[in-house]
Amino acid sequence: METHTGIESPKGVWWKRAHPTERMWVVIAFGWCMVLFAMMPLWHFKGGQNPAGVRYRVKPADYMRRTQEFIAAYKVGIDQGIPIVEPPPGSDIYLIGLSFAWQPILKLRQGTEYTLHLSSLDVNHGFSLYPMNINFQVVPGYDYGLRVTPTEAGDLRIVCNEFCGIGHHTMVGRVIVTDSAGREVAAAERAALTREATP
Amino acid sequence: MTTQVMHQDFRTCPVTGLKVHRDAERLIRANAVAATVSLLIGGIAAVLVLLTRWQAVHLLPAHWFYRILTVHGMSMLIFFILFFEMGILYFTSAVLLNSRVAAPRTAWGAFWLMVGGALVVEWAMWTGRADVLFSSYVPLRAHPLYYLGVILFAVGALVVTILFFATLVVAKRERTYQGSVPLVTYGGATAAIISVITLGHGAGIYIPTFLWSLGLMEVDPQVYRMVWWALGHSSQQINVAAMVAVWYLLGALTVGAVVLNEKISRTAFVLYILFISLASAHHLLVDPGMGPAWKIVNTSYFMYMAVLASLIHGFTVPAGIELGQRLRGFSDGLFGWLRRAPWGDPGFSSMVFSIVVFGFVGGITGVTFGTEQINIIAHNTLRIPGHFHSTVVSGTAMAFMGLTYYVIPLIFRKQIAFYPLARIQPYLFAGGMLVFSITMTFAGTFGVPRRHWDISFAQAPFDVQFNPAVDLLLGVMAVGGLVAATGGAIYILVTVSSVFFGKPLEAPVGAAAGVPPGIAAPPRHLPDADRINEELHSPARGLWGPAPGTLALVAVFLLAFVIYYFVNWKLLSFVWKVG
Amino acid sequence: MPPEQDPATDPAEPIPLGQRFFDNWLLLMVLGIAIMLVVFTGWGLYEITSLKPAPLP
Repeated sequence: METHTGIESPKGVWWKRAHPTERMWVVIAFGWCMVLFAMMPLWHFKGGQNPAGVRYRVKPADYMRRTQEFIAAYKVGIDQGIPIVEPPPGSDIYLIGLSFAWQPILKLRQGTEYTLHLSSLDVNHGFSLYPMNINFQVVPGYDYGLRVTPTEAGDLRIVCNEFCGIGHHTMVGRVIVTDSAGREVAAAERAALTREATP
Repeated sequence: MTTQVMHQDFRTCPVTGLKVHRDAERLIRANAVAATVSLLIGGIAAVLVLLTRWQAVHLLPAHWFYRILTVHGMSMLIFFILFFEMGILYFTSAVLLNSRVAAPRTAWGAFWLMVGGALVVEWAMWTGRADVLFSSYVPLRAHPLYYLGVILFAVGALVVTILFFATLVVAKRERTYQGSVPLVTYGGATAAIISVITLGHGAGIYIPTFLWSLGLMEVDPQVYRMVWWALGHSSQQINVAAMVAVWYLLGALTVGAVVLNEKISRTAFVLYILFISLASAHHLLVDPGMGPAWKIVNTSYFMYMAVLASLIHGFTVPAGIELGQRLRGFSDGLFGWLRRAPWGDPGFSSMVFSIVVFGFVGGITGVTFGTEQINIIAHNTLRIPGHFHSTVVSGTAMAFMGLTYYVIPLIFRKQIAFYPLARIQPYLFAGGMLVFSITMTFAGTFGVPRRHWDISFAQAPFDVQFNPAVDLLLGVMAVGGLVAATGGAIYILVTVSSVFFGKPLEAPVGAAAGVPPGIAAPPRHLPDADRINEELHSPARGLWGPAPGTLALVAVFLLAFVIYYFVNWKLLSFVWKVG
Repeated sequence: MPPEQDPATDPAEPIPLGQRFFDNWLLLMVLGIAIMLVVFTGWGLYEITSLKPAPLP
């Protein structure tokens, strides 16, 4: 049985059946690829986390105006100069990424669904919700509406993880999640929650 | 232009018997030198970036960090890798086919265009005119000359790619080889075809962006991201194809690795050609502009057909090595072929580390994060650079470094200087990068962002406290990176010394000091290899087949893949409901 | 291998269609480019440009 290396030209007909072991591996690998492919549509139907959302184009000026209305309607406080907003359950809520801050601070309730709209008024930003490690791209000119349900109470952070300029590493926002009765998590518990967060 | 080729335009290689065109040789040398210079710039940048992300050291101030990070990305992912690949294109076309290079003057023009473009881009970055990172996402704006420099470089690379195909045509017409091109050349052609797809999209996005930087037109940020990543990620797929071609090449040179079945291996390359570029969608899975159907079809390389291709090469490459070793008489037990392989040959060790780390770490993490939904817990965290350092650095760059130890004697015709250092270089580089990639990926699972100057968030309005494990991980990551950088520095020292100051290699080549075993004593199969091969393929061996050691290894690999993949789905299920 | 030493293809053995297809790099390139332009770029551009403006009540 002839052999040749990869630097030699194969002679004549090389379109030949492979050894059964090789064919078995190809079949197994193909089967695994089908499993990989099936998982994604499956999770759309059975799983709780998908990036589908409701997606639109938007003019930054219009989005900014809408967010300001949203803030005005539901403002309950202020922290570091950023308004804290407590919207009703099931509502459309708006977050702006603008170098180098996230506006507003959202106060949400555990177990409640909202439609969280994400957009930027200037350059690309990265929405990274800490410590749950939920990450989405925030693109200027686009409104990414994600139906979200917070799963546990806490005092969360939004870290910007897309380079947006010299102040990129100072761009941190805040999300407060109250428990299902509407109470904020105590400060000491809050510190423990964020520090001990493991993947 | 004359097609009359003079006999003295060629020399005959005393090791392989191939007829080497002198222009091909000079072009390979020039591109190898340009690649090494780019690697040096990118490597210095790597150390500076690493010592900054190691918060305990935090070397660079913020604006220099983002600037040097841009330099690192461009110099490594575009200049180093593409210059080296141009050399591979000339080798797999002209040299492996005993042919002259088509249009050598054009080839040199393209080379200088690439050098010119690279110099313009480096100037723009170092002078602070392009603090936009490797991806330069619009509306972040760089100086127009930055974009122009990239365009010039890409045009040069496209010309070289076209000349690759022109050389294939010339070789066929002048009958410099018989039958089909060798498998390694086929891999080169795969890389070249993906290169056309890549550079075409590159032109499609950099030209409008250049005009935008001059204020002459608008560029939509989402369209930019989509088309740019067709350049950005597909360029890495050129690297995958080239790397696999180099695996087959080094296998042949170091241990006489055989091709088990041309149809199967070439099918895998064809699957790459048809589908691998689609997975540029990996970077766009949590973007607002495209819907789930587009994301699922594209990120899966069309139902994972290109992943099937990698899984095929993942078997045929080591199986070919195993078979080559068994045909040389190293056939004891399940893994005798591996234990008794030339681990002191830097070409061999580089190749093996490249295969193992690319497969186990790079491939598995890449397919996992490239899942539409799992990407939600991975996007823009350190998991992403953790992944690509295990593919393009521990995989492609490692393989290219291993190849260099054969290029130095075969094409530069020099002995390898500091050969004892060269022998340990792959171990240092691969070991360091393995630690680096794994700790970086693990830090990313805690949510640590990529491209970020300060994760103590000292200047941010709200505090962010990462798990204390993160500091430890980043410290270990930095140490791993420094070990790898030492390996990289040794590589540069060895190659520069060999090329410019090394002892010339005299024919016939004996066991001289600075010559890898594959050249000093080329691997030869036993005289009755055909009979041994027949036995290895006999049905009496059952499904274990001719390469049982490899079968055991790929079974372990598949198990690791299945476990890692489903663990990540589990992790995803713990976060908020998002839809 | 240098052409002088090499036996020519056996003229009696026809080259299978699959082998001829795989040997045709130009056809493969055209297919690769076409698939990319349709499935990724074309469809992607269609997705982006067919997004509706946000209602923003």
